[in-house]
Amino acid sequence: MKERLRALDANLLWPMVLLVVMGTLTVYSAGRSTGQASLWAKQSLWNVMGFTVMALLAAANPRRIFHSGLVLYVLGILSLVLVLVAGHRIGGSQRWIVLAGLTFQPSELMKWLTLLFVAHRLGTRQPQDLTTWDLVGTSALVLFPMLLVLKQPDLGMAVSFLPILVLIPILKGLRAKWVAITLVCVSLGAVLAWQKVLKPYQKQRVLTFLDPGADLKGKGYQINQSRIAIGAGGLTGQGFTSGSQTQLNFLPVKTTDFVFSVWAEERGFLGVLMALGLFGLVLSRILDTAVAAKSASETYFCVGAAGIIALHLLVNVGMVIGVLPNKGIVLPFFSAGGSSTLSYFLGLGVVMAVRHRAQVK
Amino acid sequence: MEILNRGLIHRRIAIMKTVTVCMIGGLVLAYGWVQLGLRREMQRLAFSQAVKTRTTPAPRGIIFDRNGNKIVDNRRALHLVIQSEDLPYDPRQIEALATALAMEPEQLRRRVQAIRQAAGNRMLVLLDNLDDAALARAEVLRARFPFLSIEIAPRRVYLGQDLAGHALGYVGEVTPEEMTKDPGRYQLGEIIGRSGFEASRNDRLRGVDGQRRILVDYLGREVAVFGQIEAKPGRSVYLTLDAGLQATLKAAFGQEQGAGIVLDLRDGGILAQYSSPSYDPNIFLNRLTQEQVEQYWGNPDRPMLDRVTQGRYAPGSTFKLLIALAALEKGLITPATTFTCGGHKSFYGRDFRCDAVHGTVNLVQAIAHSCDIYFYELGMRLDIDDIYNAAAKYGLTVPTGVDLPHEATSRVPSREWKKRVKKEKWYAGETISVAIGQGANSLTPIGLARFYAMLATRGRLLTPHLLYGVRQEDNGPMDLFTAPAPRETGLDPEIWKVLDEGLYQVVQVGTAKESAVPGLTMVGKTGTSQVTTFVDKSHYAKLSKKLKDNALFAGYAPRENPQIAFVVVAENAGFGASSAAPIAKKLCQYWFIDRLKKPLPPPSAKLPDEYKVEPDADSAEEP
Repeated sequence: MKERLRALDANLLWPMVLLVVMGTLTVYSAGRSTGQASLWAKQSLWNVMGFTVMALLAAANPRRIFHSGLVLYVLGILSLVLVLVAGHRIGGSQRWIVLAGLTFQPSELMKWLTLLFVAHRLGTRQPQDLTTWDLVGTSALVLFPMLLVLKQPDLGMAVSFLPILVLIPILKGLRAKWVAITLVCVSLGAVLAWQKVLKPYQKQRVLTFLDPGADLKGKGYQINQSRIAIGAGGLTGQGFTSGSQTQLNFLPVKTTDFVFSVWAEERGFLGVLMALGLFGLVLSRILDTAVAAKSASETYFCVGAAGIIALHLLVNVGMVIGVLPNKGIVLPFFSAGGSSTLSYFLGLGVVMAVRHRAQVK
Repeated sequence: MEILNRGLIHRRIAIMKTVTVCMIGGLVLAYGWVQLGLRREMQRLAFSQAVKTRTTPAPRGIIFDRNGNKIVDNRRALHLVIQSEDLPYDPRQIEALATALAMEPEQLRRRVQAIRQAAGNRMLVLLDNLDDAALARAEVLRARFPFLSIEIAPRRVYLGQDLAGHALGYVGEVTPEEMTKDPGRYQLGEIIGRSGFEASRNDRLRGVDGQRRILVDYLGREVAVFGQIEAKPGRSVYLTLDAGLQATLKAAFGQEQGAGIVLDLRDGGILAQYSSPSYDPNIFLNRLTQEQVEQYWGNPDRPMLDRVTQGRYAPGSTFKLLIALAALEKGLITPATTFTCGGHKSFYGRDFRCDAVHGTVNLVQAIAHSCDIYFYELGMRLDIDDIYNAAAKYGLTVPTGVDLPHEATSRVPSREWKKRVKKEKWYAGETISVAIGQGANSLTPIGLARFYAMLATRGRLLTPHLLYGVRQEDNGPMDLFTAPAPRETGLDPEIWKVLDEGLYQVVQVGTAKESAVPGLTMVGKTGTSQVTTFVDKSHYAKLSKKLKDNALFAGYAPRENPQIAFVVVAENAGFGASSAAPIAKKLCQYWFIDRLKKPLPPPSAKLPDEYKVEPDADSAEEP
C-alpha cells in the first residue's frame, strides 16, 4: 500500500486534492437549500473511491493498461449500445444504466477508454508513417462512440469526445491543408447537425447563447441568473453558504452544471483565481508528464487527458458566465456525480502511472 | 517503442501548454470583468430579485351597535394570488391558467395587464376566501403554475347576515373607474365600501396598509422577514343602531316589503332602519354567479334598493299634518274651524270621496279619523306654493343629510317644479290630491321620519345619522360623534299642541286605536297611498298578486316625553292602520317595555367609560 501511495505524483495530487475539497464544499453549500443536504457526503464517498482507484492505477504498469485498450474499447461500445437499448430514461434522454440500485453513465468512462485505445493504436507507429487513412480510421474510432452518445441524446458529452482528436495536430502538425479540411468538415457538420441531429431544445440553447437577453424568463433564465450570481460575488465573495442566488435557488442545477457559479458567488474573484490557477497546475503537470513519458502511447494519452480536462474547464466555466453556449457539461472535481468523478480519477490514475514509470526507470 | 522525432512532438506539446494558459487567462479576464466590473449592477439585480416589499392589507374597522354588540367583524381568509413581480408573460401560460380556473383567457389577460401597469406591489387575486377544498385545489394549481402563491388577508364577516344589510352595505375591490375619477385616493386592489355605511364612512373604517420587506426564493416564497411596518387596522366604529330594536323591526316585517326607521330624538341617531327585502352583505364578498347578479339586480322587487333612504312613496294621510300646519300658519283655519263630511264632495267639478261619513269635524277630529273631505277643503283654500313653502320650512324638500350614500330627495310639488319638469302650468285641482298626500307627492321614509321627529321635538330638525362613535383601540376612549346641531324651525307652540292632540287621538279613538300599546302613549298617523312607480306594477300583475295600496304609519312615543320617532311603510299591504301601525306598535313594545325587562348583561371586565372617575388634573398631565 505504501508503495502504491508513493506512486502518486505529488505535483499532480495536491492541486487535485485542493480542487476536490473546494468542489465538495461547494456541493455542500449548493445542496443544503434544495433538499440535497447529504449530497456532499455522497460526493465525498465517490471521491474516496476515486482516490483508491487512482492509487491502484498509479502503481500499475502502464504497458499492461494500454494492452487491454482494445478489449476495454469494445466493452465500452457494448455498454453504450446497452444504454440505447435498455438504458434508464430521465427527462427525455437515455443516458444511464441502473445496476444494483446504482446509476452509471457509461459515456463518462467511454471518453477515457476511447482515449486509451486511440493512444495505444497510434503509439505503435511512427508519426511520419501515419497515412491519411490511419488518421481517418482514428477519427472514426472517436466519432463512433460520439454518435452513440449523440443518440442518447447528450450533446455536451459528445462534444467532450472531440479533444481526443487534438492528438492529430500534435502528431502531424498544424498544416494549412488539414485546417482547411477540418473547417469544411466542421461547417458541413454544423449545417447537417442543425438540420438533422440537433433537438429543438439544443437549437434553443444556441439561439439563447447568441442573444441571452431575448428570453430572460425562459431559456436565458439560467445563464442570466448564473451571471448575476458570479457578478454578485465581487472580489471576495458573499461568504460560504451565504450566496443569495445559491441559497434562494435562483441559480439552477447548481450541484452539477452550475456548480462553478456557486463557487464564484460565495468565494468571489479571488476564489475563481485560485480554482483556475489550480486547474492550470493540473493541466500543466499532465502535459509535463506527456513530455516525460517513456512511450509514444503514454505521451498521447497524457496529451488527450489534458485536452479532455481543458475542454471541460473551458466549456463549463465559460458557459456559466455566458461566453459559451449553455451545454450540459460538468466541471471536473467540482460537479457532483459518481460516474464522472470516478472516470476523472481513472484517467488521472493512468497519467500518474505514466509519471511513476518514467521516474523509476 | 521509441519515437524518432521526439523534439517535434515536445514542441507541439509546448504550444498546447501555451494555448491552455491563454485559455485560462481568457477565463480570468471574463470573470474579472463580470465580478469586478459588473459587480454593482449584478449585486443590485441579485438584491432586487431576492428582497421584496409586500403590502400587508390593513383590516377595516370593526363595527358595533350602540351597546357594543359586534355586528361586523374581520377574519383571516386565504386567497390564491399572483404577486406583481411573478405575473406571467407567456400568453400560453395565461391561457392554461385561465382554463384551469374556468375563466375567460381574455379577461385574465386584461387583469394581468392592469396589475402590471399599476405601480406598487399589489397582487392579482385569482380565488378569494379559500375553504379547505378550494385550498387543496389551489395547492394542486401551484404545483402546475409555480408563480401562484397563497396570501392571508382580512375579510369582512357580517355577523347579522341580512339584519341590517342596506344600512351596513358591503365592501368590494375598488374599480378602475373609481381610481381614475379620484386619483391618488385609492390603491389598486384596495377593498373599499361599495354601499351603505361601509361606503359613506369608508375613510373612517379603512386602515393603513402595512409593508413587509421579505427575502423570497426563486418561486417568490417568503424565506425571511427583514422588517415590517405593521398594518394599522381601521378604527372600531359604533353605530347608533340598537341590534335588539333592529331585530324586532326585521322580524316585524317578515316577508312584507317596505321600509322602517326609528330615530333617537335626542340627536337624530338611527336606532333601527330596515329595508325589506334585505340582503346578506356576506354574499357580495364573493364573485357573484350570473344567477346571483340576476337575483339581486334584475329582480323586480329591487332588493338592492335601500327603501329607507332611496325609496320614495306617496305619503298618503301622514302628509295631512303638514297641510294642517300650513293652513294654521297661514291663518286659513283655527283649531276650532269645522267642515262637514258627507262621504264625498265635488271640487272643481270632480267628485272626491272620503272613507266614511264623518259629519261635522274640527281639525283634531279630522286628523284622528283621517277625514279626507276636511283636507280637501284645506287644499281648495291653500295654494300649492303655500304647501311647498311649509314643506321647505319643515325640511321635506331637501335630503336629510344622513350618512348613507345616494340619499334620494323627497319631492313636494310646486309651480316651479311642474314648469321645470312637466313643462306645464299648475292646475288648482291638483292641489286637492296633494292635500291628502297623493298626486305628485313622493317622500323618502327617512325624510318623513325627520318630519315626525320635528313634530315630536316641537320644531327641531335633526340630522339622522348612523355614526355613534369611534374607538382607536379595543379598550381606548370612545371618540363620540357630534351630530350636527338641530335646526330650530320656530314652530308655534299653540299650533304644535293641536297637532300633538290630533296624533294622540289617532291612537286613542281614531284609525290606529287597535295598535295602542298598554301603558304607553304612542302617537302617530296612519296613511294609505297608491303604489308609486319605483316597483314595476306589471310584476305584481304577473304574480297575480292583487295590487294593493301602500300602508304607512308615522309617529313618536311616548307623548309626554318623546324619545323616538318612527316611520313604517308596508308596500302593497292595504290599509295603514291594519299593516303598518302594528309594526310600529311592536317597535314601541320592544323599546319601552321588553328591552327594559331584559336581564342585565353579564359584568364586563372593564368599567364602562361613563362611570369612570376623571383622574386628577396633575396625574393626567403625566406622560
